[in-house]
Amino acid sequence: MTELQAGRTDSLGVSGVELKSQRGQYLDVLVALAAFVVLAILPVFFGSKALLDFVIRCSAFGLFATSLNLLVGYTGLISFGHGMFFGLGAYGFGLLMQRTGVSIPVAFASTLLITAVVAAVIGAICVRLKEIYFAFVTLAFQMLIHSTILSWTSLTGGDQGLRGGIPRPVFMGLDLSNHLHLYLTSCALLVLGLLLMRQITQSPFGYTLRMIRDNANRASFIGIDVWRAKLMIFVLAALFASTGGMVMALFVSGAYPEFAYWTISGEGIFINMLGGITTFLGPMVGTVLLLTLNDTVTRLTEYYGIVLGIVILFFAIGLRKGLMDFAFDWYAQRRDQVRERAR
Amino acid sequence: MLEIRGLSKSFGGVKATDNVSLDFADGSLTAVIGPNGAGKSTFFNLITGALKPDAGRIVLDGIDIAGRSPPDIVRCGIGRAFQVASIFPSLTVQETMLAAVCVDQRRAAMLHRRFPLVEARERAEYAMELLGLADQRGRTAATLSHGDQKLLDIALALVLEPKVLLLDEPTAGMGTEERWRMIDRIRELWERQKITVVFIEHDMDIVFKIAPSIVVLCYGRILATGAPEAIRRNQAVIEAYLGTEHHAGAAV
Amino acid sequence: MDLDALTGCLASTACLVTQTTSGLIIGMLLFLVAVGLTLIFGVLKVVNFSHGAFYMFGAYFAMTAYQMSGSFALAMLCGAAGTAILGLVFERVFMSRVYGANVLMQLLVCYAFVLIFDDVVRMVWGPEFRSMGMPAAFQVMPLFIAGGVIPPYYLLLIGVALSMALILGLGLARTRIGKIIRAAAHNPGMVSALGINTGLIYGGVFALGGMLAGLAGALAAPVRSLTPGMGFSVLIESFIVTVIGGMGSILGALIGALLIGLIRSFGSLGFPLFTEGLMYLFMVIVLVARPSGLFGKEIA
Repeated sequence: MTELQAGRTDSLGVSGVELKSQRGQYLDVLVALAAFVVLAILPVFFGSKALLDFVIRCSAFGLFATSLNLLVGYTGLISFGHGMFFGLGAYGFGLLMQRTGVSIPVAFASTLLITAVVAAVIGAICVRLKEIYFAFVTLAFQMLIHSTILSWTSLTGGDQGLRGGIPRPVFMGLDLSNHLHLYLTSCALLVLGLLLMRQITQSPFGYTLRMIRDNANRASFIGIDVWRAKLMIFVLAALFASTGGMVMALFVSGAYPEFAYWTISGEGIFINMLGGITTFLGPMVGTVLLLTLNDTVTRLTEYYGIVLGIVILFFAIGLRKGLMDFAFDWYAQRRDQVRERAR
Repeated sequence: MLEIRGLSKSFGGVKATDNVSLDFADGSLTAVIGPNGAGKSTFFNLITGALKPDAGRIVLDGIDIAGRSPPDIVRCGIGRAFQVASIFPSLTVQETMLAAVCVDQRRAAMLHRRFPLVEARERAEYAMELLGLADQRGRTAATLSHGDQKLLDIALALVLEPKVLLLDEPTAGMGTEERWRMIDRIRELWERQKITVVFIEHDMDIVFKIAPSIVVLCYGRILATGAPEAIRRNQAVIEAYLGTEHHAGAAV
Repeated sequence: MDLDALTGCLASTACLVTQTTSGLIIGMLLFLVAVGLTLIFGVLKVVNFSHGAFYMFGAYFAMTAYQMSGSFALAMLCGAAGTAILGLVFERVFMSRVYGANVLMQLLVCYAFVLIFDDVVRMVWGPEFRSMGMPAAFQVMPLFIAGGVIPPYYLLLIGVALSMALILGLGLARTRIGKIIRAAAHNPGMVSALGINTGLIYGGVFALGGMLAGLAGALAAPVRSLTPGMGFSVLIESFIVTVIGGMGSILGALIGALLIGLIRSFGSLGFPLFTEGLMYLFMVIVLVARPSGLFGKEIA
């Protein structure tokens, strides 16, 4: 043991192991705080409503895409139906605020609870299926929910969506009908959501998920209850997706069937591929990229499809990996090269 | 330690395991040999829960584990290493060990602390040291050499502190020298840890040199069990498996 | 929900006949699209998410050919041949690059082309709804069977689709090419080691799949309106069909398509807003009971 304690071996020596994990936790909280401060100050320097709107949309989609990566990147669960929770969050929150007189925090918590239950039921059915069948069934469930939203006009407003806006009673001094307050709340939700998801990925559970992703068979031979772990992350991911949906609902002051359409899931997958699934912030980078791309291209041409299609091809066939993956691999290669030369 | 009674498994009409009854004493080292298709891997699969037996009992330290799920059986104390190293390619050696210990310490679902847990450190270190992987701790499993991957595979089974360790062809895919090194290491492990070890092996020289007791399987049935000398002279075994060259070679 | 309409129809033979025929049509068109999808999956192990685009091109090629030549037969030919070529090119140039990659990459490449193709169609033919119109040869009196109305064109449609099913089924089972294709599905390495060009086989199968979808589009052109987004709903439905029937199974595609066609037809009576929902519900039920679909994973 003494040799090892002497730190003879490289970066991850015994004491290094302990320190690193504790340091990581503090570091992440600091980064989160700093990020929030930067975002909060932004309106002071750039007062444009468009920019603030952009950030709010990034919050909604960023939460959604990062939660999808919990499934895809960390557990290997490729869900084509994750968007259903985005839609559920939007409609759940919207309906609760419109129909019941509860305060926003109560509606928020209740929506999360409803999402958890739905996710638990759907997840219990789906996660035992393997790979492509899991993808199919999640998609089927999403489209089923979408169809239900479309046809249950008395509850959801059908293809018109929830109309009449979302009531925003003031809570804790926050008035969400004030654009700045909405902006700050969205940023807070984003940062907090990312921090929590980060904690999940860096916890022992996060490594259980990685083991399942890499080799589910061996994972079960180590004593991991794979089904239960998958179900748990399915529900957790749903909660964050739902939060994203709620931000979206507040932003557009309503809820539309498009929020539950498969294209949301498709965009989520696309964002993950754009940004990369091996780094935690990959999906966030992807979100910013996609939304920027969306906005710029729709302004320049009406043939948005072709441009987007070519961009996708570039990433899928050319780069073959997301931007952050690319950056990370490049960095890792440089670091290995330096090490080789140092030897 | 491990008692097998009347274990049977059929696939369609084929009896992969036919009424097998065996005893593995606590702390014993046994080699399971037999021609291809004898049902050796099926035998392991039945014990570890990868397959459910059609009939029979598997009693580990007094508990019947037959038919249970793999995670259950692992927690009861059966460890298994695989013929083709079954590891986690994206995790480093150290992460693999620490993660496995976390699971064994019932913390696989822990959310509120960061990985790796301090409590897991000691066992992980020990296992890495035992298998000689300590200086590779920072390497990603996918980048390890084939032999090291097999070592990691065994380490994964060992770190869970099993009562019985099943090794499925630990020397598969290795050259002669590497094979002897691997088997020496296994023997060393067995002597140090004092656990019950059962291993499947094809190299007869190794088997006869190392294993104090041997089980011969053929067509899913036990052909013979016993010490190397007895097995070498067993007529049925010679006919079915060893052939006369080995018989002659062993006599020298 | 309008259950009265549904029960009323089930009680009337006239309505039964009309609705069943309508369901058969939907089903047969879906079958042609779905069988291409299932073949591509069975042999190439790839889920072709851009399959709907072939349907769309088949319809547009047919319409343009008909408008230029006035010949229905030529229109059908152009629809089928055009998409066959498109399928071959698409596979050789793009899909072949992502075979080894994971499902996400394949999905993305296909999704990219859906976007591109939709815009191309919009550029060339415009975004409005177009129609081909029923060719003169078929502007005849509909048949009246048991009080129900059946346009003769429908019979042609059903006939073509069933013949295709037969040709495919027998072709794959009996002919040499069929056996090679099935072998390539099971063990491409071996087939290639035997000196057969697997690239050609893959391209050929993709072209065949594309052609079938294009044929469906061409056949549908006289009775449906054409629009750049038309490939999409067909894709989703044919996807449901293949998943229900079992990826890789031709019989599964046939049965699945018929089921979905009937569900759509009768479902739109009883549940006009939830018709799609019924299909998804059915899909969920089947998948939960039998994840690999009704007819499993064999090819034919």
